[in-house]
Amino acid sequence: MADVIERIGELLARLQSPDFYEREEAVRELGTYQQDEAVAGLVIAIEDPDLGIRELAANLLCGMKSGTAAQLLCSFLAHLDIATRNLAAEILVRMGAEAVPALIETLGSDDYDVRKFAVDVLGLIRDERAIEPLSHRLWDDNANVVCSAAEALGEIGSAAAVPHLLAVYDKIDDVRMAAIEALGKIGDPAALEHLHRCLTTDDPMILYAVIDAIGQIGNLESIPHLQKFMNQPKLPIAETAMNAAIRISVRNNGRIGCDLPLDRFTDFLFDGVKKGNVEITDFTLGRLSHWYGSHVIRNLLTVLDCVDETKLGRITEALALVGRSHSELVIEHLQKAGKDSKLRLLDVIKHFVDEPIARQLLPLTDDPEPDVRRQVAYLLGVSGCRDAVSRLRDLTKDGTGHVRAAAYAALGWLANDDELEFIMEGLADKYSDVRESAAGAMIIIGGPKVVQRLTAELYQEDIERQRLAVMALGWIGEREVIEPLLRAVNHPDAGVRKSAITALAKFETIGAVDPLIVALTDENSGVRKAAITALVVLKGAAATNDIRFLLSDPDIWVRYHTISAIAECGNRAAASFLIPLLQDEQDIVKIAAAKALASLGASDALPALSRLSQEKNKDVVEAVDMAVSALGGQS
Amino acid sequence: MEIVRHDKGACAVLYITGRLDLAGGAMLKEQVKKLLASNNVSIHLNLNSVDFINSSGLGALVSTMKEIRIARGRLTMSNLASYVQEIFDITQLSHIFEIFKTEEEALNSYRAAATV
Repeated sequence: MADVIERIGELLARLQSPDFYEREEAVRELGTYQQDEAVAGLVIAIEDPDLGIRELAANLLCGMKSGTAAQLLCSFLAHLDIATRNLAAEILVRMGAEAVPALIETLGSDDYDVRKFAVDVLGLIRDERAIEPLSHRLWDDNANVVCSAAEALGEIGSAAAVPHLLAVYDKIDDVRMAAIEALGKIGDPAALEHLHRCLTTDDPMILYAVIDAIGQIGNLESIPHLQKFMNQPKLPIAETAMNAAIRISVRNNGRIGCDLPLDRFTDFLFDGVKKGNVEITDFTLGRLSHWYGSHVIRNLLTVLDCVDETKLGRITEALALVGRSHSELVIEHLQKAGKDSKLRLLDVIKHFVDEPIARQLLPLTDDPEPDVRRQVAYLLGVSGCRDAVSRLRDLTKDGTGHVRAAAYAALGWLANDDELEFIMEGLADKYSDVRESAAGAMIIIGGPKVVQRLTAELYQEDIERQRLAVMALGWIGEREVIEPLLRAVNHPDAGVRKSAITALAKFETIGAVDPLIVALTDENSGVRKAAITALVVLKGAAATNDIRFLLSDPDIWVRYHTISAIAECGNRAAASFLIPLLQDEQDIVKIAAAKALASLGASDALPALSRLSQEKNKDVVEAVDMAVSALGGQS
Repeated sequence: MEIVRHDKGACAVLYITGRLDLAGGAMLKEQVKKLLASNNVSIHLNLNSVDFINSSGLGALVSTMKEIRIARGRLTMSNLASYVQEIFDITQLSHIFEIFKTEEEALNSYRAAATV
């Protein structure tokens, strides 16, 4: 122990060294001791001429959380050097609860500046032990200490301070503003009766503070007291009252309990939205279900570019709901808007576009922005406006592919088979999405004429058009496409054959079965797999006998697909076909067979499965273990 | 095809089961017509159990949407099977239909709109 004290003594002496590194080292080592002498050394070091050493000492002191350190630091609150005093205050704040007893003791200092600093620090620490001592300071001889004590009590935010603040409010004029602000911060409804009475004050500054504090407390009872101020000729007072009402509304999940004169505050509210004030924005958007009119719509349109995506979504929904009755305003704004705003507005208009609105959108088919032309094409298509057909036809010649794609899609929704020949031209477009969109339009139009033209397409030269035609025929899905699809099962192109088979599976027609059985022997493995799937769809478990020969198909994936299809059929008797597959040369087939046997509940496969438990491939072993376990065997 | 209606809040939810083809499409249009006549303009289609859709079914959906739009209502859809989503993409109907992943998400959007 004596050695330690001796060592600390040496370190304290080194704090006076002219050598920076020696002092720094001494501070660092002092931080490793708990003795009061070491703490005192660190406190002394906060006066060091070097900022780095001062900060090092400050950090070490904060970490120590020592009562001795706090006491010593409190004495620095009287320091003549402002920087040192502020550093001491900062360390005390960072020490937090540990510093509170020393600070409370310092509140009894003869120096009113020291008392004020101690009060300020206690306010920043926000420890409830300080409430009573600070409440006593509300009656301090020095006005600065009194105001600081009120502010500190507000920072601590405990309802226990409310009676003290109310008591001092009536006695000392200087403290009124600070006391009201503190009552607002504390937010305890116990202060409301007093604050409501204070609304009769002649002092405009106090009135602002009282209204603001009432808003912070956030009690619905205050709304009637605030309403008369909302109708005051002086707009700043009225807006403060409105702001308080907004806070109350936000605290009460948007409820307000009465009508407010919102129209008077349209500019105030939408300015708040534009400036990103969260409370005003939530309140304003929350009123839109019952607060609308041309002035509201106009303002909503102006804030579209000022809000984040979440708010934008809410505004778009609001405009979509009420925009229909003010569509002329939306269209007017649309004509002046930039690209992004235009797209947002078109997204709004999508919800209520009709024939008259569509006619007003027609000029936008010449908009310089492709995204705008594309969105307009969609809106024209959904509007039901036949006048838009010629413009959509123009857009199918647009230089941008996705505009052409949208135009073809829209023609599909809007047009009839009179436009068929024209839409067919889209099947020859250089871009695949445009070709697909034209095919999609034909699917929507449907009917005998479309089927006839698509059937003819199956046998024209371009293979891509043949594939699109069979895809479209499949989706048209009416009885009249069965015949062309059955013929397409023998098409020279494997892709067409495969699509035709897939489409036929949807029709539940037994007439398709024979061509599908033939397709099981197709030269193309993809076609064979499609035929397996289609037969299982059409015949269910009865398909097992048709497809089982493919378990020995030369293509690994056909074997795999056949195993899965047989398992899907759920025909327990088929297990005997699958057991030999556990010896397949391909591991993937073994795995599929193990899984299929498990799903069929084929416990007679257990001996064969057990023989695979020593396989080298971990995936095989894992699949076998799972199958054995599922079948009740021992893995 | 079968259509079962459940009213959830202000929204009429139609659960469609089976084949949305010419006959099913006509049934859907008739059901929506009745809803609109009784001033039910917020309509949600749960397509979870639609196992077939063709040209006529798509046409019925487009026509239904136009009718609801004329009645100043709102049409939403949810629970699309992958092949329904595929044909919506091919025909680009996914750009104009309000499609939600789940019925709950769709109904939440009606609730959010009501509080806007």
